[in-house]
Amino acid sequence: MQARRLWCAALAAAALALGSGSTALAEYGDVVINNHSDKAGMRPAVFPHWFHRIRFACKVCHADLGFAMRAGGNDINMVRIIDGQFCGACHNGEVAWSIENCNLCHTAKPGTPTQVHESTLQKLTAPGKPAAGAKGAKP
Amino acid sequence: MRRFALAAALGAAALAAHAQDRGKAVYEKSCALCHAAGLAGAPKTGVAADWAPRLARGASALQASALKGTPRGMPARGGNLELKDAEVGAAVGYMLAQLPAAPKPAAAPKKAATPEAAAVAASPPAVVASPVAEVNAFNRLLRPPALRNPAPAADGIHDPALDGTHALQAPLQAYTGLPRANAGNRVDWVKALAEKRISPRWDKADAQAASVVLDLNIVREVKGSMPDVVYPHKQHTEWLDCSNCHPALFIPQKGANQISMAAILLGQSCGACHGKVAFPVSECRLCHSKNK
Repeated sequence: MQARRLWCAALAAAALALGSGSTALAEYGDVVINNHSDKAGMRPAVFPHWFHRIRFACKVCHADLGFAMRAGGNDINMVRIIDGQFCGACHNGEVAWSIENCNLCHTAKPGTPTQVHESTLQKLTAPGKPAAGAKGAKP
Repeated sequence: MRRFALAAALGAAALAAHAQDRGKAVYEKSCALCHAAGLAGAPKTGVAADWAPRLARGASALQASALKGTPRGMPARGGNLELKDAEVGAAVGYMLAQLPAAPKPAAAPKKAATPEAAAVAASPPAVVASPVAEVNAFNRLLRPPALRNPAPAADGIHDPALDGTHALQAPLQAYTGLPRANAGNRVDWVKALAEKRISPRWDKADAQAASVVLDLNIVREVKGSMPDVVYPHKQHTEWLDCSNCHPALFIPQKGANQISMAAILLGQSCGACHGKVAFPVSECRLCHSKNK
């Protein structure tokens, strides 16, 4: 019986490891932006596409605000955001919460590379690693 | 001796009652918001059918889910990170005590210790529990339902040690009432927009501006046996501006664009969005929709 119990525990542990071991679990389209964060000692920022597309058409950010359609393809920094560019166009305390809420954007585990989660490229390359060519691909 | 046993029993009963009270207090403060009404997929208090699949995995697994949160939307410690382990446990105990008599929390795993009893007693909930989740477990490309749309704290990229992570909305909460799809976010965004379940703002400056929709289908004949591609401008212009695609991604001229699945897989042309944020390339027939 003891052996059986051990066996069950081992199976459960294996299932858990298989289920949660991979880092590629994030919501489809979540973008981790780590152009400067790690170097600056901040956690990388996570941009949830799904949350924003409920509220804004793609056009607002990708045409009106000028976000290039490529993870890491925009040279975003806090000075620009404070200046009202990129995220700062809305995250100014009027449309959306303001930039004092560091911990709402800079939420990724330290060291997470810039990438689009669940993207084809990410799945074709090793899960959890930055997609090769993600930066070099055309916008 | 008998008196001693009686006293012990009374003491145990009093202790249990105390735990129930404490559990109830925690429940009302931190759990009832979702569990009383069964919001966001939470098992409803007192509804045995909701709890049976969870109980089938054992009380300790249930306890672990309550403490650590689950990908399906349960925040760690019910979102109240100041709760102690014992308090969370008491709240779980209280919720289980509200179930109709049959499935007792601690009974299931204990019975499972004897194989014969396990076969008889534990099998009904087990049948309810896992087949849907486990039957395709061998397939690494098919994610089991329990791991889809994880809450931020459980998704592997957000840092669960950070308070901000727990303040973020879980995707499944936002998807309530949206039409479902089989891939990507598992939300049919085009349908959600068409049915006006969502009304995303169209313009940065003008909150009232509406999209300029172009209803023009482009048919692309493809080699081989795949059905031809029908590209609908309509669904694209409901979300995007012409300048998002033209001319950088597509030259606006018939026959001027060489498109291949290889390029799309690498994130070029359609792959700039499809496979990153719009429905992924696994949904072949959504594009290849016109039979030859």
